[in-house]
Amino acid sequence: MHKLSAIELKDLFVKGEISAEQIAKHTLNRIEKYDADVGSFLDIHADKMLRKAKELDAKKKSGQKVGSMAAIPVAIKDNINIKDTITTCASKFLTNYKAVFDASVCKFLEEEDALIIGKTNLDEFAMGSSTENSAFKKTKNPWNLTCTPGGSSGGSAAAVAARLCPLSLGSDTGGSIRQPAAFTGIVGFKPTYGRVSRYGLVAFASSLDQIGPFSTTVADTALIMQTISKSCPYDSTNIHQDAPDYLSCLQTASLKGKKIGVPWHFLEKLSEESKNNFNQAVEVFKSLGADIVNIDLDILKYSIAVYYVLATAEASANLARFDGIRYGVRSQKATNLEEVYEFSRQEGFGPEVKNRILLGTYVLSSGFKDAYYKKAQQVRTLMVQKFKEAFSMCSLVLMPTSPIPAFTIGEIQDPLQMYLQDIYTIAANLIGAPAISVPSGFNKNNMPLGIQIIGPQLHDKEVLCAAHSYEQATGHGKIIPSYFDNEVSK
Amino acid sequence: MKEIDYDLWEPVIGLEVHVQLNTKSKLFSHAPNRFGDEPNTNITDVCTGQPGSLPVLNKEAVKKAVQFGLAIKANISRFSKFDRKSYFYPDSPRNYQITQFDHPIILGGSIVADVEGTTKIFPVNRAHIEDDAGMLKHFSTFAGVDYNRAGVPLIEVVSEPCIHSAKDAVAYATALKSIMEYIDASDCNMEEGCLRFDANISVRLKTEKGFRNKIEIKNMNSFHNMEMAIESEIKRQIRLYSEHPHEDPKKLLRSGTYRFDLEKKETVLMRYKEEAEDYRYFPEPDLVPIVLTESYIEQVKAHLPELPHERNKRYTESLGLPQASAATLINDKNMCFYFEEALKTCKSAKNLCNWLIVEFTGRIKDSGKTLEQFGIKPENVAHLVNMIEDGTITGKIAKSVADDMIVTPSKDCRDIVKENPDYQPLQDTSSIEALIDQVLSENAQSIADYKAGKTKAFAFLIGQVMKLCKGKASPTIVNEILTKKLQ
Repeated sequence: MHKLSAIELKDLFVKGEISAEQIAKHTLNRIEKYDADVGSFLDIHADKMLRKAKELDAKKKSGQKVGSMAAIPVAIKDNINIKDTITTCASKFLTNYKAVFDASVCKFLEEEDALIIGKTNLDEFAMGSSTENSAFKKTKNPWNLTCTPGGSSGGSAAAVAARLCPLSLGSDTGGSIRQPAAFTGIVGFKPTYGRVSRYGLVAFASSLDQIGPFSTTVADTALIMQTISKSCPYDSTNIHQDAPDYLSCLQTASLKGKKIGVPWHFLEKLSEESKNNFNQAVEVFKSLGADIVNIDLDILKYSIAVYYVLATAEASANLARFDGIRYGVRSQKATNLEEVYEFSRQEGFGPEVKNRILLGTYVLSSGFKDAYYKKAQQVRTLMVQKFKEAFSMCSLVLMPTSPIPAFTIGEIQDPLQMYLQDIYTIAANLIGAPAISVPSGFNKNNMPLGIQIIGPQLHDKEVLCAAHSYEQATGHGKIIPSYFDNEVSK
Repeated sequence: MKEIDYDLWEPVIGLEVHVQLNTKSKLFSHAPNRFGDEPNTNITDVCTGQPGSLPVLNKEAVKKAVQFGLAIKANISRFSKFDRKSYFYPDSPRNYQITQFDHPIILGGSIVADVEGTTKIFPVNRAHIEDDAGMLKHFSTFAGVDYNRAGVPLIEVVSEPCIHSAKDAVAYATALKSIMEYIDASDCNMEEGCLRFDANISVRLKTEKGFRNKIEIKNMNSFHNMEMAIESEIKRQIRLYSEHPHEDPKKLLRSGTYRFDLEKKETVLMRYKEEAEDYRYFPEPDLVPIVLTESYIEQVKAHLPELPHERNKRYTESLGLPQASAATLINDKNMCFYFEEALKTCKSAKNLCNWLIVEFTGRIKDSGKTLEQFGIKPENVAHLVNMIEDGTITGKIAKSVADDMIVTPSKDCRDIVKENPDYQPLQDTSSIEALIDQVLSENAQSIADYKAGKTKAFAFLIGQVMKLCKGKASPTIVNEILTKKLQ
């Protein structure tokens, strides 16, 4: 059953060949068998999931119409609220925090009869590129358990890559969906900013954050996008119009005559291995009839600098609410108000979170704001402009997702080296564009690699179609890490 | 020591007024905007800054801000946006306030105010929308926070430094309050903290051009306190400069934030400016900018109600009310609307106004209720004034009728008059004549005085007659007969 895509599972359920309860039990069994190795989940809502599955079976039996996500198990990154369950953001600070409302995406999934499994691991408050910054545990890469799955949505990526579930949700602020998707050999999609409601996503950098899915096929991503893209009145930055039918669009997808831009100059520094893999992907696009054009996106060299000013500035304000007054862990040492703030935050936050709060506070401080924050905003605007120019020459941009494949746990200690992970992914967040990572094969150590397709804002459909065409022609995502390719006994 | 000459100095004052808007729900959430409920009952995930919560702008608040902008003839920004203002305090649920920093919704405009009979125009710098904080409550061993107020919409109106006395400041604030009331943007209930004032104060010699260091007095919540606070701070600064004429004024008076101590009746330092927090403003990424179209603004403009100063003009010019009466009436919006209602059936605006602001106000002021709440219908008061006007009753009797109306508010005053024989005026002239004859026979001296040209004696004689008839005779008739008899 673990080989089945979400769509295939749902079809079996709808045809009556399998019950929702069977699917739920199968999923829970696989998690029980394998997640000790992978460490993708922080919390499993087994009772709730089984209850929902039974209700769904009853619903179907009574002849009622079931939702578009019926009986599909979905894992949720633990910075997305599910009412009455713990949302930790992988932070000690929120160990005891019970969410008081459902994130819109979770509500939409419930309404469409998905089976929500539980919460997956992440870098604390989504700050990181390896999931090593989780306060609770390290998540392993299913292709090599000594490697990281990337991050920050490492738990959600690893769960799908190990075929513990066919779909999961992550959040992407600078590459946190696409990079782990590339590292774990699956599909990861960051939609257009505002396409998916952020209501209920614990904010890291509000102007960059976007929820998106992980799946083993582009079609599964298209399926879940239909549901999570619903218009939401609780998010002012949400695109208040219904999404197109992504799934049916895929059937007519074609790259024939499509102009695909590649910023060749910017890719010169890529390692030999990654470059070869990327070139092969380009050849596939050509063979599918795409017209590859050279574009100038040298401005991308500023993306990391701009990102770490803007994202940390926003984070410094977003994380100010974690003060030990209303919720979260209040320091036992504190004897007055100042100490409640100081000790609770000192004890509750990990080092990377503190780094970023400090950096963000600094770049917004009077005397420095013009040199850092304002300057970075200007470059961001310039970047939007440069991409606009690029998109006048091509309909989509093709780049690698990450400069390197998954690295060993503990290998990268220097935060600046870690930040370089996001060199190719950040731009899509800064310009609010849709971007997908699709598996593009393996390196000599059998570690997966990914390519990234970026489209103009609101062209999510075109991005999904191109990814689908490439996927159909290659099929790298069909390969399952062998350790996890066994049915569990029931 | 040399006497201080306060007249050499000119105070320079800028006011920042925070006005709570009377929208149904809060600025960024659907929680009710209501005062006086049990702590932490009018709250949502937004009001308590729950992780994952997001603000959604209340359109009603924007409309009220635009109405205010139009009322003071300001520029309405076609584009404005929100910013985060960061500071840690338990009453701030996200530890940043959502306010408008560099693109406020309202720019410029002016407030017209009456200062002791003179009309003054006070220019406004800007007005912006922001959310209120919660409230800290201190108990013996701990403190609690009530977030019911957190997220209540505010408009902060910032004046130019154009105010030069405590009286000016009060007049400005009163006029501002009145505008907010008449456009129905705020209930302006001072006891509930709907209106709060911060004053920036400096003084300079009248011959000086530039500004000296200013201090800010925060959070004054009544006109009276504000007047006292500004008055005392102006004197303090003048004394300080006068007593140290050779010192550098910049070092003598350090900029800072003060509060007014009601017991000591003086301003108390909270912190110096240099110690002030860095608010690290930056654009609020969770909200989209407010973009207003011409047609929206035109629509709001078309539905703008009559403003206080327009009303004042109408009352004094068309209705002939004295300026002071018009101002008193307009300052009490409930009474003013009551007056308008009564005027529909009343023959004399001037008398109606007097009866409302003097007689009835005096009779109900201890109840804490409005006339409407008291159960006296506006037309009932109108009928009372009409009865005086057409001579059905005398003014004296009317006062007794008004007393009865307070006791039986729902009873038609015309029935009260009809049913009480004491309220029937003396109609036949013969009995009035008899009373006049009696008074004349008892006051020979006054007759002599009158004939010697003392007009006061005439009034005295009228008074005596009215006393004798217990106010039931028409003063006009008494006047007529008496004049005739004295000729």
